[in-house]
Amino acid sequence: MSIINNIKRVSAVVLALLSLTVAYATDSKVEAAAEWQRGLDAYSNGEYGAARDAWERVAQLGPAGAELYYNLANAYYRLGQQSDAPFANGELGRAVLNYRRALRLNPSDADARYNLDIAVDHTNDAESLPQGVISSMWTAVRGTMSSNGWAIASVVQFIMALVLTLIYLLSNTIVLRKVAFFVVVLLVVAFIFSTIFAISERVLSSDSQEAVVVCNSTTPVHASPDNGSKIIRQPSQGVTVKVLRSHGEWSEVEFADGEKGWIPSSIIELV
Amino acid sequence: MIRIRHFLLVLVAILATWNSWAQVAFKAEAPLLVSLNERVRVEFSINEEPDGDNTFQAPTFEGFNILAGPSVSTGMGMQWINGHQTISYNRTYTFILKPLSAGKHTIGSASIMVDGKRYNTKSIILEVIDEGSKVNNAPSQQGGARDTHQKDPQTSKPDKRVEPTVSSDDIFLMLSVSDKEVYKGEALRATLMLYTRVGYPDIRGFDLPVFNDFWTQELQSLNERSRAEYNGRVYDTYKLSEYVIAPQRTGDLTISPAELDVAIQVVTQDNSNQGFFYGSRKVSVVNRKLRSAPVAIKVLEFPEGAPASFNGAVGSFSLTAKAPEAEMSANSSNEISVTISGSGNLKFVTAPRLKLPDSFELYDTKVRDNITTTASGASGSITYSYPFVVRAAGEYYIEPIVFSYFDLETKQYKTLATEPFVLTVTGDGSVAEGAKSQDRVYAEYGGRMKQLDRDIRFIHTGALPVHSLSFFILSPLYWLLMVLFVAIFIVIYVVMRKRIRENRNIVARRMRQADKVAVQRLRMAQRSMVEGRRHAFYEEMLRAMWGYISDKFNIPLSNLTKETIREELYRRGVSAADAEQFCQIISRSDEAQYAPSTDSDMGEVYDDAVAVISKIEDVIKR
Repeated sequence: MSIINNIKRVSAVVLALLSLTVAYATDSKVEAAAEWQRGLDAYSNGEYGAARDAWERVAQLGPAGAELYYNLANAYYRLGQQSDAPFANGELGRAVLNYRRALRLNPSDADARYNLDIAVDHTNDAESLPQGVISSMWTAVRGTMSSNGWAIASVVQFIMALVLTLIYLLSNTIVLRKVAFFVVVLLVVAFIFSTIFAISERVLSSDSQEAVVVCNSTTPVHASPDNGSKIIRQPSQGVTVKVLRSHGEWSEVEFADGEKGWIPSSIIELV
Repeated sequence: MIRIRHFLLVLVAILATWNSWAQVAFKAEAPLLVSLNERVRVEFSINEEPDGDNTFQAPTFEGFNILAGPSVSTGMGMQWINGHQTISYNRTYTFILKPLSAGKHTIGSASIMVDGKRYNTKSIILEVIDEGSKVNNAPSQQGGARDTHQKDPQTSKPDKRVEPTVSSDDIFLMLSVSDKEVYKGEALRATLMLYTRVGYPDIRGFDLPVFNDFWTQELQSLNERSRAEYNGRVYDTYKLSEYVIAPQRTGDLTISPAELDVAIQVVTQDNSNQGFFYGSRKVSVVNRKLRSAPVAIKVLEFPEGAPASFNGAVGSFSLTAKAPEAEMSANSSNEISVTISGSGNLKFVTAPRLKLPDSFELYDTKVRDNITTTASGASGSITYSYPFVVRAAGEYYIEPIVFSYFDLETKQYKTLATEPFVLTVTGDGSVAEGAKSQDRVYAEYGGRMKQLDRDIRFIHTGALPVHSLSFFILSPLYWLLMVLFVAIFIVIYVVMRKRIRENRNIVARRMRQADKVAVQRLRMAQRSMVEGRRHAFYEEMLRAMWGYISDKFNIPLSNLTKETIREELYRRGVSAADAEQFCQIISRSDEAQYAPSTDSDMGEVYDDAVAVISKIEDVIKR
């Protein structure tokens, strides 16, 4: 009897907790959905400032997806374009930042890639040096699917490899055995690549070292974390850098052309 | 001789009057700042012979005691410069005064008659400062801190023996800046002054101030002498150098001090030798290292909301533009130029960005400047010329050139813009008409090609996607699936293990032993041949040959026909003739099995079979 009572009590508590979290979750979800819709309407009417505000609010409310970042970036881009002095308040930097965030979450988002390319064209800095053929092919192939896509592919390839191994072992038809063996080798190679792609995309998206210069500031890049040190260059908004380490209020960054320097952490934002 | 001398004198007199006719100047000169216990020397000088000293009327020196004067002195000089002769005349009336009280005193105007005309001096306002009980000119007995000993009565005994020391009050260096809180790029003036109460010292060494993080330009500076009050005391001041500086970064900057090694001559009353030399004066030299205090300057950040075209220009500017020729033909060059003029950090102004339509090619911007630096900063103008070539015919609208700067007066950003330019480009015939409009337009910027006429794609619409940030790869589910399938695989493997092993063994053994089996069967056939059993011989022969192919190629006997044999052999590189012979032997054996035949046939068939199998074996093994 007592055991049954205990189970009842525990399940009641669990139920209560569950309903609480569900209630909380639905509350913020409802608000997020409303803000999302408000943003869509505002954007369609050309009120990009309002759209931006609404979507920033959605991003605050919960985990943001690639679509939200993409829309937010579009709003920033249009807002910057709209003003008399284009991109005067760092809109370009914010647009690039949010496109990059969208791509981080979903590297196969072709629209985000296209728009990022356009936004980057507006930056003054040479964005990046041409990538090597292998490196760009690697990125291009990896970008065709998201991490989860690659993960599912790798599982399917793994299962197929196992099945074909069995066929190879059990069959006594030479042709079938040979075909099976060949396909297993191919599947193992494919499995290794899919797994690497899936893992590298996961690592890239969860632990980004990339940062974007968001301010339209005249703060220069210094040789060491000290205002008195030698000035190396002048970064412009929207330039993507790699953060190597930070020291106090300074961050050491590496530019696309390999140049390293220190800038105040306040003018960059991690992707 | 006398005549000549007379003549010369007359000549001199004529020249003198000539030169000074134009301007008769009667001036009063006095230090503008004096100490209460100082003697003041006031001079009235005229550069023309007056009608008589009695026409000179001195002002009433209210607030002063006249200690001496007027003493009159006359000077005359002659100068030849580049063959041009100048004769100067000067008559000076000098008064020595002693101020009676501190405060501002006015010395009224004096007057004098020259050629029957009366000339007046301007009145002078003289500021008299009460330095308290401090003794004038005498160096302080105790060096060191300046304020604590100021009112010490011990130091104010003029006739006592005085050590030949110079207090840090009596001579010091001061670096003063016109403003201590400026914006980045704002020009300010820094002046290095020597304050002294002990006369102008002999300068032995000089370390200039170091302006780190400042753009610096030294101004032409004369050793300008003047007087100034500092901490209630009157000093002679010498301007040693003057700079226009502009900070190049924000934050708290410090100008490191200047240093000056000086030797000061000090005159002391030597009272130590009582007796004959009582009261003799002694001149000694004191060496001193003077150091100005470091100056801290706060450089302010520009306020938020800088326009995009703002590039650090500070000051007050105007923008004018020279429009390009309104009509031009394609592939010819044209130019837009803008001039930024005004005052501010012109030297750091960068070329404003010119946005040209797509089919324009912009070449390197040319810069011409005309900037002068004065004590109030740099001013002048800077002109940027943008040469360009238009590739395609058409009507073009060129966006205005925008230039922004930070106005120091209003502390606001100001944006200047030119008028937009309109340009008509006529074709030059060399450009294919079709290529101009619909094709995508590329341009080269900074070494990379950019497609220019693109716009961003539209937003994602639809409901807010429910987003889970979970990753499948390396997740528990992933591992579970992997382990599950590996387990299934292992189970199947274990269950089928026996069959797999058998499978592998049967196949391998059969393959390996095919020829041995065939040899064995052939041997049995040979025995039958020797014993004369025809039927058994051909049976063994057929079994050997079919079996050989079946085992060798792992094909079940039931699936074998002569056709498949021929195919299989051919596929494995056996020549068509050998394959044909192999099949013929099978056919002959089939026929001979039930048909009467001679003994010699058996031997022939046997030899042929052995020969063809060894041939096939050779080919396949290879």
